[in-house]
Amino acid sequence: MEKYINEKLRPLVQGDGGEMTFLKREDDKVTVVMQGECSKCGMLAKCMSWCEGQIQKDLGEKVTLIPVRKKPFFWDR
Amino acid sequence: MAHIKVVRRSMRPEEYIELRYIKLKRYIYDEMREISPVYIREARQTAEMQYEFYDEEYRELNIGELYYTPDGSAFIKCCVTIPEELKDREVYLYTKTSSEMTVKVNSKYAGGFDPNRQRILISPYTENGRCEIEILGYNRSKPDDERNPETLAVRGCRQTFEGLFLATVNEDVQKLCYDCELLWDIIDSEAFNEEYREFVIRELNCALNLIDFEDIKNEAVAKAIKYIDEKIYADKTFKGNGRVALISHSHLDLAYYWRRIHTVQKNLRTVLIQLRLMDKYPEFTYAHTQANTYETLEKYYPEVFAELKERIKEGRFEPVGAMYVEPDCNVPNAESLIRQCLYGQLYFRDKFGITVDSCWLPDVFGNSWILPQILRKSKVDFFVSNKMSTWNDTNRFPHNNFIWRGIDGTDIYACVPPTHFISWNEPSQVKENWEAFQDKHTSTETLQMFGYGDGGSGATEEMLELMSRFKKLSVMPETRHITAKEFLHSNFNSDHEFDVWDGELYLEMHRGTFTTKSNLKKYNRSLENKFRTAELLSVYRHKKGEDYPDRKLRELYKKMLVNQFHDILPGSHITPVYRDAIKDYIEIDNGLDEIIGTGDKLFNTLNFPRNGVEFIPDENGKITRSGKKGNFRKVEFAPLSVGKVEAAATDTSWFGFDNEKCSTPLYDISFAKDGSIVSLYDKKLCREWVKGDFNKLKMYDDRPGVYDAWDILPDYLDKELELPLEKELTLLSVDGECAELSVTHKTDKSVWQRIIRVFRQDSGIEVENIVGWNEKHKLMKVDFNCNILTRNVVCDTSAGFVSREMHRNTSWQAARFECCHHKWFDLSETNGGVSVINEGKYGIGITDKGVSLSLLRATMRPDPTSDEGEHNFCYKILPHGGSFVEADINRKAHIYNAPLIKTDIEKITMPDFGELYLQSVKKAEKSDMTVYRLSEQNGARGKIVFDKEVKILNMLEDIEATAKEIEYAPFAIITIGID
Repeated sequence: MEKYINEKLRPLVQGDGGEMTFLKREDDKVTVVMQGECSKCGMLAKCMSWCEGQIQKDLGEKVTLIPVRKKPFFWDR
Repeated sequence: MAHIKVVRRSMRPEEYIELRYIKLKRYIYDEMREISPVYIREARQTAEMQYEFYDEEYRELNIGELYYTPDGSAFIKCCVTIPEELKDREVYLYTKTSSEMTVKVNSKYAGGFDPNRQRILISPYTENGRCEIEILGYNRSKPDDERNPETLAVRGCRQTFEGLFLATVNEDVQKLCYDCELLWDIIDSEAFNEEYREFVIRELNCALNLIDFEDIKNEAVAKAIKYIDEKIYADKTFKGNGRVALISHSHLDLAYYWRRIHTVQKNLRTVLIQLRLMDKYPEFTYAHTQANTYETLEKYYPEVFAELKERIKEGRFEPVGAMYVEPDCNVPNAESLIRQCLYGQLYFRDKFGITVDSCWLPDVFGNSWILPQILRKSKVDFFVSNKMSTWNDTNRFPHNNFIWRGIDGTDIYACVPPTHFISWNEPSQVKENWEAFQDKHTSTETLQMFGYGDGGSGATEEMLELMSRFKKLSVMPETRHITAKEFLHSNFNSDHEFDVWDGELYLEMHRGTFTTKSNLKKYNRSLENKFRTAELLSVYRHKKGEDYPDRKLRELYKKMLVNQFHDILPGSHITPVYRDAIKDYIEIDNGLDEIIGTGDKLFNTLNFPRNGVEFIPDENGKITRSGKKGNFRKVEFAPLSVGKVEAAATDTSWFGFDNEKCSTPLYDISFAKDGSIVSLYDKKLCREWVKGDFNKLKMYDDRPGVYDAWDILPDYLDKELELPLEKELTLLSVDGECAELSVTHKTDKSVWQRIIRVFRQDSGIEVENIVGWNEKHKLMKVDFNCNILTRNVVCDTSAGFVSREMHRNTSWQAARFECCHHKWFDLSETNGGVSVINEGKYGIGITDKGVSLSLLRATMRPDPTSDEGEHNFCYKILPHGGSFVEADINRKAHIYNAPLIKTDIEKITMPDFGELYLQSVKKAEKSDMTVYRLSEQNGARGKIVFDKEVKILNMLEDIEATAKEIEYAPFAIITIGID
């Protein structure tokens, strides 16, 4: 899962100026850190749903992604 | 005494106007018919014009459903028949999106959608009432180029489909909306005086009162339009002044928040939008830069390119900016900037039969002092760049229309427009431009660029409609919509006496871009030198009868030029752009290695001798430098020749080291445990070089704010951080020529090893930095505070030197606390000084105490991974007697950056160029002539004499004269051709 997120999904969100890194997994809950544009994106929940779909399609696992937004200091108002 | 502030909570007249204007906009479309079914196939772009698809087949896409994926593209199609009752009307395709889309109707390119454009006229493309519509949707734009708050709010990897519609426009409502937009801007802006704004509020209110907003009727709308015509536009009571030229353009970053593979479509969309505006508005002209964007359009969209060519012939679509891309103008060296002009101009000549006489760089982060000469010798007479006027953070740049005098004394007409290069033609923007114009005493007209930009797209219909109304407003400056050429030629000529700016065009912002993404800078420097070698050897072999690899060299060169774009090389881009650039650099590096070849002999590619100590790679060597095994050896090489490498000395008694004190035949050095030098006593010159922190590594908290990758703020000096020492200075090795000392710093995230090398026969002290870097918001510098009384630091520009004041007497010096240099900087008294030579660092910090070399940053925006990972770089501290010229520092810096190469060639023979640096030698682009580019870099005057007549060329390789002798002035760059 960590490899898939960091190597498959991460480059995709980086393409939109975002950043996604695997943090931890507890059962079917996978926590990811979202930075860059993702850290303030209004569509993040929808993006996470799509990513969950890709994980299910490619890894055959049904998980829930829990995004943790990590904004840089200048956006963290 | 209690004070109650009076706050008006009731609606003001202007608010009531705005509310009704917003409501009116909902009635622009009198017919809106959903197109259904619409089909989509989701994809991801992997290369120019190449896609990986998520779906095997198209699926149906309905309103409210999600589309797009992270980094995704979308292929959308539908088929529609224009209803009978709309056949006599102009029918538009309508959608609302925060993405960008190009649209084909019945296989013809009809236009583009983006956050600022919601409709495309499709009537001209219908065939028997039918429209096969194909849409390519891609990039979801960038963070700040949209005016439309609705699309801003829904920006993201995933989008909600809002439907595709056939729409017709209520022309009267549309017209009234343009009137309202124009007048609302005046009401809302302090650029216009209060009396006039009150007048507009009163009369516009009266006009809108003619409409029942509960039941908007065309007749009432027409009455309102007539009222505005008769009461507001007809009024001549209020007078304006000034003259503003309005030039339409679109700033298109080749890469930024998108990769250059996406720019192919961004450029297509931009061009399409402008061509379609030309269809509707016959007087409309548009300026477009960067030969590279024309090249990709020609390659992938020949039918659009053919249409564009016709508009160029008509003088309506105007190529501006002679360069291949809009490069960074700090970091690329002189030869790179010349090639930007050469390949740009050759393309414009080949394809359109024109030589572009303007340099159009609205967004670059400051401009090197070497540019005026390069531009003038590339047939460019006008320099245009906006940044200094609108982005300086300390001083207001004092000119807009002026003469820029270059390092060698070359003058070029320069225009730094008073306002931003992205504007949308609101009256207030035009008025503010004239108000801000500072050269009213020498010029009568100022330049206002309009059109959306950064991600391209340019002018909109609204901008043109507003512009057509300016003449109706007596309060506006006199405006004319003209081409860039018309503006530049009519305003910059011998009829005017301009003020002169003699110096670099330093931008008082974005000072971090000399340092951010260190690896790009290192590659760029190394490849610039490698191109020189590859061309030199190719010319030699060509003279021996081999084919000259001109096509391959040109392709590789263009690839490097693209990566010098002002959001690539400076480091201000997202993660994938960095990956693309590194991939390109590796390809270029390998390609050049193939051209250069190899051999058994070491060869000096420089046109001057080298006889110092150099690192000679050898797999059995005892020293590892930059990941390669080898040894330092004294060498003796004539220009452009093979030479001698002295045998290894084995006696190590020349070196002593005890308790951080080291002794060599040249120096007594006292180190601190952290590798910084406490004392550097020069035995030959009998003097001490150090006063204060010297070779001291310093880490700072580096938080410049939202322009993270771009900026370094002066307050970094207030926030020095602890840099823990992991391994104190120890002796690593010593042989007959070189002794190595090692010291390692370690934070909780990074490891920084420094190998300090001192030499038996070389006065340089080299420091290799081997770094595992995982910091965030940190700036690493190394300080050099010298025992030297000077108020100036002299910096290499790659084609001459610039002397910069170190004091902060005025705000102008204070603002230049971080500057760009090239291979070296120098602090000197008249009989000696200290230079620091680097192999790929550009930023230096300047204080009255000394200079710091900026080594690494760790920024978070736009790329949260910026500069993470492994780094290896060297610099060399070089104390010297005499001046930096007498000490030959410039040549030593060339030697440091152009190592000996392995080849089979014994000697390359060419004319004696005296003291001039052979900057480049190549085969001419259009003939078999050999082109030599020579550069005077020490500020001296002289003469070269040839044994036969040579051709004097400009930088486009046109023959301008012949001569047997050439007298040159300081900092001249001379191009000659020899058959």
